[in-house]
Amino acid sequence: MIELRNVSLKYGDREILKNVSVTVRDNTIKAILGPSGVGKSTILKLMLGLIKPNSGKVFVDATDITPLKETELYPIRRKMGIVFQGNALFDSMTISQNLSFFLRENLRLPESEIEKRVVEQIQFAGLEGYEDQLPENLSGGMRKRVAIGRALIFNPRMILFDEPTAGLDPVSSKKILNLIDSLKQKSGLGAVIVTHIIDDVFAIADCVAVLYKGEIIFDDVTEKLHESQHPFIRSILSDKILEL
Amino acid sequence: MPTTLARSLSSQAALQLKEFLLTMQEFFLFSLRAFATIPKIKRYWRDFLDQATICGTESIPIVLVSSISIGSLLAIEVGNLLEDFGAKTMLGRSTSITVIRELGPLLMGLMLSARFGSRNGAELGAMQISEQIDALRAFGTDPIAKLVMPRLVAALVMFVPLTALADFAGLQSAAILAEHYHRLDPGIFWNAVYPRMIPKDFVVGFLKAPVFAIIITLVSSFNGFAARGGTAGVGRSTIKGIVVSSGLVLIANFYVSKIVLENM
Repeated sequence: MIELRNVSLKYGDREILKNVSVTVRDNTIKAILGPSGVGKSTILKLMLGLIKPNSGKVFVDATDITPLKETELYPIRRKMGIVFQGNALFDSMTISQNLSFFLRENLRLPESEIEKRVVEQIQFAGLEGYEDQLPENLSGGMRKRVAIGRALIFNPRMILFDEPTAGLDPVSSKKILNLIDSLKQKSGLGAVIVTHIIDDVFAIADCVAVLYKGEIIFDDVTEKLHESQHPFIRSILSDKILEL
Repeated sequence: MPTTLARSLSSQAALQLKEFLLTMQEFFLFSLRAFATIPKIKRYWRDFLDQATICGTESIPIVLVSSISIGSLLAIEVGNLLEDFGAKTMLGRSTSITVIRELGPLLMGLMLSARFGSRNGAELGAMQISEQIDALRAFGTDPIAKLVMPRLVAALVMFVPLTALADFAGLQSAAILAEHYHRLDPGIFWNAVYPRMIPKDFVVGFLKAPVFAIIITLVSSFNGFAARGGTAGVGRSTIKGIVVSSGLVLIANFYVSKIVLENM
């Protein structure tokens, strides 16, 4: 379980998050919905301890990670996987090298075990035959699947997705959403999905938190979103574009 | 009105000073971390070899071009000057002091600041912008140990032989020019070089190599890590890295010479 408790964050004079509290339970898919540039990706980075809040606490499985040093955070981060918006694949490495890189770096596994896990992820992502390709030679959807495979390589309990369908065509988007849903159904994985696309939320999220002007204005099961009377939520439900 | 303006200017200056001090603090911690991770070099030996090839082997042409050009120019200009005083036979001595103590390492430092420093800044800046550095941290790898430390060790190892190469090429080109331009016998030229060299000459020249290696690698890498704001941000951080490291190389060149010459 991941919990942000009364978290505030400022960049210079700009207040990004104001007293934000969000809880993500195991084996559930939680969406964080909001317009672009509102601080949604920042929430994911806070959950991983990549940045520290100005005030408030971040708990991962009841451990407060805010005072932890970088080296103390590494084992906690391995409980989670992350899929960055731009995938953040290493462009000088092949697909199989991208998948095996962190296993070689961080776990003392025998080479046969590393190869086994890489083959599993290649099959899971449906990328057989592309093992020796560089990321630049793959389509956007394929790169996203490699990034998901990489996030799964440590067998995490929770995966964080930063705009998983942004920039993808409708067919690739649907494939990625189905993949995320299948992870929960088959492996019991929890997920946090940061998105500005409301259709994605209704497609797979069990619950949703809406971030608007640095504050959480809604946090409940997805179905109840329709009942909200907040003007911003009413506007996004009436198919308006999510812009501030 | 003037009071308000003065207050606004002083508060701006205070803010800039605060930002500068914070950046210095970050740079100090970044550098400390880079040195602290050197014991992990065995784990990252492949990265070290890659970087050694980039900053060492691949830098040979630019180091040769700059040192040959400066050696040749020195031979012509200093030779002309010495000829006026009838001291042409001292050309080897004057050229060797200038090349080995000062211009050899300095030019190599500036060339490598442009070549190796810009590569570091652009590569690490692009990795920062595309969240690859965040990915390293998110999956439990220390980005400074993986990306900066191998660059630092490679530069520390490779800058010394590059300095030797720059010195040799500069002196050799000066000897050739002395023979063909000033009609000075190579034996006389080299006789004014070797027997008169003293340990201090080499200490001054070769001490600069590791100092420049540290400056160039850490400044360019730090600026790469600090890149923000898309591709334009990568450009800005790369330029900043080159400008600052080149400036620091010039300053360090002066102080290393001053300290060694005064104390040896």
